[in-house]
Amino acid sequence: MKTKWYFFFLTTVAVSAILYAFPGFKADEPAEIGVLMIGENRLEKFTGLENGLKDLGYSNKEIHFTVKNARDDEELLDKQIEDLLQTAPDLIVTLGAIESQRLKAELDKKKITIPVVFAGLAAPKELGLIKDYKSPGGMFTGINNYHASISGKRLEMLTSLVPNIKKVHVIYDSKIDVSKISLKETRIAANALGVEIAPCDASSKECLDRLWKTGKEGEAILILPSFRIESLTEDIVKLTEEKKIPAMGLYDFEVEKGLLASYGSSFHSQGYQAARFVSLILQGNKPGELPVELPDGIRFVVNQQTKDALGIRYNEDLLKLAELVHPDAQGGRNP
Amino acid sequence: MKAMIDFMQSQPIRNKVLVFGVAMSTIPLLLISIFYYSFVKADLETRIMEKQHLVLENLSREIEVEFSQTFQRIQVLASLHLLAEKQTALYELLQQNESVEEVVIADDKGLVEKRVSRFDLNITGSKEQWFTDDMWFQLQTREKVYGQVAFNQYGQPVMKLAIPFYENDTKKAVGVVVQLQKIIGKISSMRQDHSSYIYLVDDKDRVIAHQDYSRIWQKQPSTGEDVIGVTAKINELNWTLVMEQPKMTAFAPINRMLQSGIGAVALLILTVSLISVWAGLYFTRPIVSIDREMNNLKQGRKISPVKMRRTDELGKLADSFNDMSKELLEKSRLLEQEKERLDVVVNGIGAGLALVTKEYQITWMNPILTGWLKEDRLSLPCYAVIGGESTPCQNCPITCPDMDKIADEVMKFKDGANGERLFRHRVFPLNHAIEKEGEFLVVLEDITEQKQMEETMIQTDKLSALGIMASSFAHEVNNPLATINVYAEDLIDRIQAGDEDLDQDEMEHYLRKIKENTERCKRITGNLLNFSRKNDWMEDHIRVREIIENSISLVEHQLKKQRVQLELQIADTLPVIRGDGLKLMQVIVNLINNAVDALENEGRLVISATTTVDGTVSIKVIDSGHGIPAEAMDKLFDPFFTTKPIGKGTGLGLSVCYGIIQQFGGTITIDSKPEEGTTVEIQLPAERMQSEELAMGNQARNPA
Repeated sequence: MKTKWYFFFLTTVAVSAILYAFPGFKADEPAEIGVLMIGENRLEKFTGLENGLKDLGYSNKEIHFTVKNARDDEELLDKQIEDLLQTAPDLIVTLGAIESQRLKAELDKKKITIPVVFAGLAAPKELGLIKDYKSPGGMFTGINNYHASISGKRLEMLTSLVPNIKKVHVIYDSKIDVSKISLKETRIAANALGVEIAPCDASSKECLDRLWKTGKEGEAILILPSFRIESLTEDIVKLTEEKKIPAMGLYDFEVEKGLLASYGSSFHSQGYQAARFVSLILQGNKPGELPVELPDGIRFVVNQQTKDALGIRYNEDLLKLAELVHPDAQGGRNP
Repeated sequence: MKAMIDFMQSQPIRNKVLVFGVAMSTIPLLLISIFYYSFVKADLETRIMEKQHLVLENLSREIEVEFSQTFQRIQVLASLHLLAEKQTALYELLQQNESVEEVVIADDKGLVEKRVSRFDLNITGSKEQWFTDDMWFQLQTREKVYGQVAFNQYGQPVMKLAIPFYENDTKKAVGVVVQLQKIIGKISSMRQDHSSYIYLVDDKDRVIAHQDYSRIWQKQPSTGEDVIGVTAKINELNWTLVMEQPKMTAFAPINRMLQSGIGAVALLILTVSLISVWAGLYFTRPIVSIDREMNNLKQGRKISPVKMRRTDELGKLADSFNDMSKELLEKSRLLEQEKERLDVVVNGIGAGLALVTKEYQITWMNPILTGWLKEDRLSLPCYAVIGGESTPCQNCPITCPDMDKIADEVMKFKDGANGERLFRHRVFPLNHAIEKEGEFLVVLEDITEQKQMEETMIQTDKLSALGIMASSFAHEVNNPLATINVYAEDLIDRIQAGDEDLDQDEMEHYLRKIKENTERCKRITGNLLNFSRKNDWMEDHIRVREIIENSISLVEHQLKKQRVQLELQIADTLPVIRGDGLKLMQVIVNLINNAVDALENEGRLVISATTTVDGTVSIKVIDSGHGIPAEAMDKLFDPFFTTKPIGKGTGLGLSVCYGIIQQFGGTITIDSKPEEGTTVEIQLPAERMQSEELAMGNQARNPA
């Protein structure tokens, strides 16, 4: 009888020990990361994110991405946000302001709490995504790409690069909050610098049409942040080439497409920098406690070919800061 | 520990085999595991620390390089006097160092003269003080100055660096704002294995970078957790890089291994236990069966043979047990029978039995003895209970262990309830006695009736002899009486006749003759009376010659009548013997009567008495009669056995003789050859000390 009790006890202990030991064999599941992008042109941010995480020591074993690309369709973006939330990822990375705003609206609506890292957007505080840069609170944190605040600096950079500019057409998007905030910054800087600016709302087709009609030498174009404006880059490039007016964009890819210069954080670096936030959150930090960061680097990119095409002269001092596209183009730097 | 050992020893073999199996399988495994775990743990800790050293070394070098490069670039620009020229050099500085947010040139009063900013407009404020007082103070004496870690308007950690330079003999300063977020971010967000974390502590012991952002800007944390950690000092900045890993997570891999090992050990114990129990049952089942049957056997219950199909030692043991139990049962049965028999004997023997220790304590009595004693005073010594004595018996073998020969000869008397009775008391030492349960067996026989019977037999025999000798006695008495009668008649006649010759002398002659014959009659009748007297054993010193002569006088007439030629060969120096002379006379008379009967008419009878070489007195009665048939030799001493014709013998003679000689402590032997004669020899123990004196007395009485 005692032996039976012994075996009953032993079997219970053995089964418990095996069950206890089982988790020892269980491999850690990779963290599920959802990625939201409004369009293809922000893919570079995702690439930056991947590279950043890789450099921080992450591999596919630790993380898994679910990428949602809305192909510049806002309605599709909303749907994809719904789909993504249904998968209940551990963390969501938004690649721009519009994605972040729509996601926040959906999260607030459904009262879902998922950490969100915005991989570069302008004026997150002004957009209501965070309470404070140092202590964002809530579930959002990420990179303030400074593209709103830096708008005035960009105006200064443009006018410094091409000192002969008399008037600057500022293309903004009245339907995009960031764009409007940027315009406000630009106006302040213009006053400080004594530069005449002419805002142009890209949300209406009239903007570019008017520039086509009125644009002339001695004028320049300053592009403010908006995914809609980003999609108009090629049209703007054509305009600047045709009208021989220099234009200042935000991103290096815009310069590569033919704009004279750009001053801003690159998509890749924003994505790369966002990887740090992803890592910090995966390591247990609350997004609300992670201070929003400015971009690690602001790239000043100048297209020498465009400069030659425009036939303009510019401030050589500034070129010390610039990264040149087609640096060996005929004409090169000012003689 | 002792209780545990006692507990284990009290367990059945099956459980012991189980414990042995489990212990033998798990203890080595556990010892190896513990050794391996300890070794791997120490090794892992070393490796973790080496890795931490490597990581911190790289990071600290990176930080040092970052700051030193920034200073070098500023210093180069200042030394080449490039700072005064436009803004080219300042832009170049921004371009060269991505962490630099802003570069300013300050005049000798610390007011900003020139600014190039990465994020803000390059506009300088009116009388804008860029340096803190502390920095400006240090700039007066130092070549390079580090500011404190601070936050910009966006909450970003930044740090100001500055160096002094001279422009046209005017001491100015160049300052840069370095963005720290990249360094801090890298330190904080770098993925570390197994909960490792790195943090950076500034010169004021504040954490300026930590994986856990809740700890930033706090004093250097002390988690209280046991950690493996290393530190690296960044000398220029007086910062400290710390990398730590909680031991709990550091050792998680080997703990997981241990966790898995526990499962394996548990499974192993389960398996081994099953095997051990099977082995235990396999090995102990025969023993358990044998034990069970043995208990049955012990308690007298019915047992069945232990059956098993195996030929190993246990199988042989079971077979041996079966054989042994069978034999034991058989012997028990025999023992029971023997005991029953013994009980019957002990209770029915008519003798009292008791077990007595060396201390004379009675430990057991049979019911007969208990009945005799009418009391149960076992606490008293045996001599007190049985003999009513106050000291041990003189010849008791308990007192004298060497006196084995007389162990069964000690006699005792005891007052019985029905008057004085006679008991024979014998003590036998037991060779295989149980200690303290009696080393001696005391046997008490009530021989009162036996003795009375013997007395009766002796008396009967005596009377028988008297009957046989009656005519002889009559004749013997008749002769002197006739003589007396003749002398008396003759005297009367002569007195009546007035015979003058009858003088006084002749009268005396007549009277003397009458007196002599009267005395002769008296002697004959005296002998007869003496012989016929019923008496108890009278111990005395006996002169053998006298006894023989008295005996012959009783049968003298018979010898004469049958013309038996009597020859006496009595040695002159016979020792005296101790005993009852009358009884010895009865023996000799019996032997003479037997001889006379055997001789019938005419024959030779020799009676001799000599001393043997071993000091005993040998009395022989030898006749030349018809002898005794061989088939009667074995029964000669049996009571009522006789070869004589009816009316001539009672068959008690030799039996009585045997009994009397036994009482003398002597022996009686008969040698007879048919038609040649019979020799009866009696050997009696002599009293050596007095023999010589008595012999001298004999010589004095019988000088011839």
